[in-house]
Amino acid sequence: MVDSKQQWKAWIYLAPAILLLLVFTVWPIINTVRMAFLEGYRGLEAVGGQSYSFGFGNFEKVIHYHKFLNCLKTTVLLCVLTVPISTFLALIIAVALNNIKFLQKGLQTIFFLPYVTNSIAIGMVFAAMFNIVGSFYGTENEIIATAGIINNVIEFFGGEPVNWINYGSTYTANIIVMTVYIVWNALPFKILILLGGLQSINKQYYDAAKIDGTPRRRVFTRITVPLLSPMLAYVIITGFISGFKEYSSIVGIFGEGMGPADDPGRLNTIVGFIYDALSTNSQGRASAAALILFGIILVVTLINTQVSKKRVHY
Amino acid sequence: MKKKILSLVLALLIVLSTVALTACGGETAAPQEGSTDAPAEAAAANFVVPEGGYDGSDVTITFYHTMGENLSTVLDEYIVEFNKLYPNIHIDHKNMGGYDDVREQISTEITVGNQPNIAYCYPDHVALYNLAKAVVQLDNLIDSQVEVTRADGSTEILGLTDEQKADFIEGYYNEGKQFGDGLMYTLPMSKSTEVLYYNKTFFDENGLTVPTTWDEMEALCAKIKEIDPESCPLGYDSEANLFITMCEQYNSPYTSATGDHYLFNNDQNKAFVKMFNNWYQQGYLTTQKIYGGYTSGLFTSVDGMRSYMSIGSSAGAVHQRPATDADGNYLFDVGVATIPQVSEDNRKVISQGPSLCIFKDSNEQEVIASWLFAKFLTTNVDFQAEFGMASGYVPVLKSVSANPAYSEFIANADGGKYIAALSAKVCLEQVDDYYTSPAFNGSSAARDQVGGLMVKTLTAKGDDLDAQIDKAFQEAIDECEYAN
Amino acid sequence: MSENRNGIMQEKDMRQVAIKQNIGKGVVKFFLYLFLITMALIVLFPFYWMIISSLKSLEEYRLSVPTFWPRTIMLSNYAEAFKAANLGRLFLNTLYVGVVSTLLSLVITVLSAFAFARLEFKGRETMFGLLLATMMIPGELFTITNYSTITQLGWMNTFTVLIVPFLVSVFYIFLLRQNFMQIPNELYLAAKVDGTSDLKYLWKVMVPLSMPTLISITILKMMGAWNSYIWPRLVANDAAHQMITNGLRNAFTDTTGDVNYPVQMAAVAIVSAPLFLVFVFLRKYIMAGVSRSGIKG
Repeated sequence: MVDSKQQWKAWIYLAPAILLLLVFTVWPIINTVRMAFLEGYRGLEAVGGQSYSFGFGNFEKVIHYHKFLNCLKTTVLLCVLTVPISTFLALIIAVALNNIKFLQKGLQTIFFLPYVTNSIAIGMVFAAMFNIVGSFYGTENEIIATAGIINNVIEFFGGEPVNWINYGSTYTANIIVMTVYIVWNALPFKILILLGGLQSINKQYYDAAKIDGTPRRRVFTRITVPLLSPMLAYVIITGFISGFKEYSSIVGIFGEGMGPADDPGRLNTIVGFIYDALSTNSQGRASAAALILFGIILVVTLINTQVSKKRVHY
Repeated sequence: MKKKILSLVLALLIVLSTVALTACGGETAAPQEGSTDAPAEAAAANFVVPEGGYDGSDVTITFYHTMGENLSTVLDEYIVEFNKLYPNIHIDHKNMGGYDDVREQISTEITVGNQPNIAYCYPDHVALYNLAKAVVQLDNLIDSQVEVTRADGSTEILGLTDEQKADFIEGYYNEGKQFGDGLMYTLPMSKSTEVLYYNKTFFDENGLTVPTTWDEMEALCAKIKEIDPESCPLGYDSEANLFITMCEQYNSPYTSATGDHYLFNNDQNKAFVKMFNNWYQQGYLTTQKIYGGYTSGLFTSVDGMRSYMSIGSSAGAVHQRPATDADGNYLFDVGVATIPQVSEDNRKVISQGPSLCIFKDSNEQEVIASWLFAKFLTTNVDFQAEFGMASGYVPVLKSVSANPAYSEFIANADGGKYIAALSAKVCLEQVDDYYTSPAFNGSSAARDQVGGLMVKTLTAKGDDLDAQIDKAFQEAIDECEYAN
Repeated sequence: MSENRNGIMQEKDMRQVAIKQNIGKGVVKFFLYLFLITMALIVLFPFYWMIISSLKSLEEYRLSVPTFWPRTIMLSNYAEAFKAANLGRLFLNTLYVGVVSTLLSLVITVLSAFAFARLEFKGRETMFGLLLATMMIPGELFTITNYSTITQLGWMNTFTVLIVPFLVSVFYIFLLRQNFMQIPNELYLAAKVDGTSDLKYLWKVMVPLSMPTLISITILKMMGAWNSYIWPRLVANDAAHQMITNGLRNAFTDTTGDVNYPVQMAAVAIVSAPLFLVFVFLRKYIMAGVSRSGIKG
């Protein structure tokens, strides 16, 4: 039968990928599971001859951390905010780019630039844009050297400056800054993918719509989005996965403290928690947290793929 | 389909975990190359110096550090010198980036026994490496009287001579013993401390004197605030250093390497925190994190908000110097002084900067050769002098001040072009005051926590100030305890 | 007659509609450009910042209130960056690793994506689900295990260790599979009837049709080689194999452990330039890929 022939053929096609994954991904995962169930496991201590008993101690330790729920909340909140916003913006930009001729190449190149801009530079710029340099807010000695570009713009339009990231700032303000930063960061990749998708859509569909005199909005919702749905599914699913692994962007704005100076750790995420554990070589605890994160992402991705199965048109 | 995938994934995870768990018994017990096969107790004991010491064998020593281009050049020159004495000891040195990079790299390498022979280290790094008992314990090497013959025919004893030991600045040397067991694990390489930079031009114009105690500092801040109400008289770079130094100056507990690690939640510490809170509320003091920029930037600023004093690293002196005008003159003159004290009887100032540690190796000769090289770097007066001048760090040997090149460097000290020399000079004046904090796995977490605690308590206000301070201390302790 | 009149009427209507549409189009175009240019400016800002930072003196860079244009333009930062890091060697190493790993990675990705998109086999969905699941564990946890694996394989300080462990990317397989699934199955079945082999079909039809995606993957992979830092530092930190980011990071730490950011930014700008050029060059290929995918389907 063709079927059985296809069976082994498929595995041959997959062989190189599977082999490499087994060695460099699956085996490390197994090792992670092992470390997660060894109570209080520390890699360096293990080298020194320490042995560990098997149990759920690491998981208990993670869940009993009084800020664990807070880490989870920040992670989920950032994910839920940034993925839809960045996807929508990227879609609009990609469609707009696809609809113009003059300057198209130039603009396309500009939207790619963040990709070649060093991440250190990006983090520093954003921090500088929101950073208030000064001291003694709220006391009679208040002195502000600079309120940051964003606040300058707000004041220009007659608004009240906001304390975004400095000490005394609110959680809401922090989250807004992080959302802007993460969306900004995610845009070039999404635009690249969506534009690639748009440009491979057959022009005939649009020609047909033109002849029928279909309004723009309908073309967008009835032709563009459905035909782009595989790419959209891709950017959304991967967006959620990387969203749940948010860490370095927060370091970029708030530094290793993961929060405003007077409340370090306020914006800590689950991956941030994992890093903290690794920095004291508590690999057992880090692994347990990673497995918990894995469980969460797994559920979200299953929901995502389930939804996209209904919505994605191939 | 969804259920099917989910159940399959779960089933696989369970299978994997059981496989992993059955496999792990053998895995953890497996001896690793690089760590000795001896039981844990013996592994912690002194390195046993082989009879005959260094036998002249051909070895390559890897050395991880954070030296940039300019310092590597100095190091290379002295490796040539070292190789005149020991031509068979090859030094392979690498710049690993920052201190954290060195720590990350080595702690991973230790897990497979690939660690280097020598590394730049901070005390908490050593505590981390010692979870794997990977750092060579130096006492036997230091005390060894074995004679080693050098290539030029001369001999030296393997250990440190009494003169060499006495030549180390004591506070720096004792840093090697702060790991709770009284044993020596590191040799000091190059050091820095905190000094008080002040705007000498402004001080002279207004007839102000440099404060030596915190009481004087408070009075001075009030005076400066009268002269220039728009200013913030004092900027303190590191919140964590402020907290820890005050603990030392008040002789009140901070941390301990043994037993209960985190001891800083006490009334004495709350009292000084409250004092600084009051200073902050009056606009006397700010710190780097509160200010939202380098406090040196505040100090060197000549318009708008500015400060007239800045407490920061002695190695960062060039950053505390203002810009020059069109004629190349600095916009004001900088003075450097020791930091204020609580009492003259208990002078304390922090000691920072890298030390050297040596890693265990199955080849004893590599350990001996590493020791010889580490000893060379830390006891060679010319190297220490040249390295100190190139880096802005303070040499760790007293006799460096007698070195002609270095004494000329110090003699040139001024508040402008030679500000690095000026800050080095001030460091040398307070050699008896250095303290270091106990080191253990988690000591850097304590440092981070008290830094955050300081910001939180400085900026706290309201009727329930005491309650807020209590809460901040308790939270910092909780975080520390959890991290460990 | 009546047919003719009808025709004229329609023509007139259509002309009016066309005029209206043209005005509408103009307005739409205006807002389109306004939107795109605004977004472009926002996107450009950090890039601009990188460039001006690279031209500042260290003192100016450390000012509390950042300046938007360097007071004195320090082109010497660029010279210093060139001198401090062994840029030529770093470039070659990185280019080699980037090109080889991109090529191998493309082959593996195309084959796997084809299997997942077109071939029917038992457990396909499950396999794919598992593959996706591997993306969800933070990679940092893999480092230590992989480090011990490659030490046992004796791959320390080789190019192999920089290339092989990350050849498979579930991300790319996923992306390409999505693209492959868009290509109508009828084409495949027709090719089967003609007796075209799978490989030939893959090469002649699917790969050209997926050019934009393949180019996106190439760019991402090259970017990865350019930006990889933690792993290369760990496994290949000798001069012969050092990658660009490692070389740059290490070259500019000054004595206090501070980083000389302006010089580092200059180095980063130098290093980003080839990437930028590669993109400008590859963009034409994306266009070409698009026009080729315009064939009926």
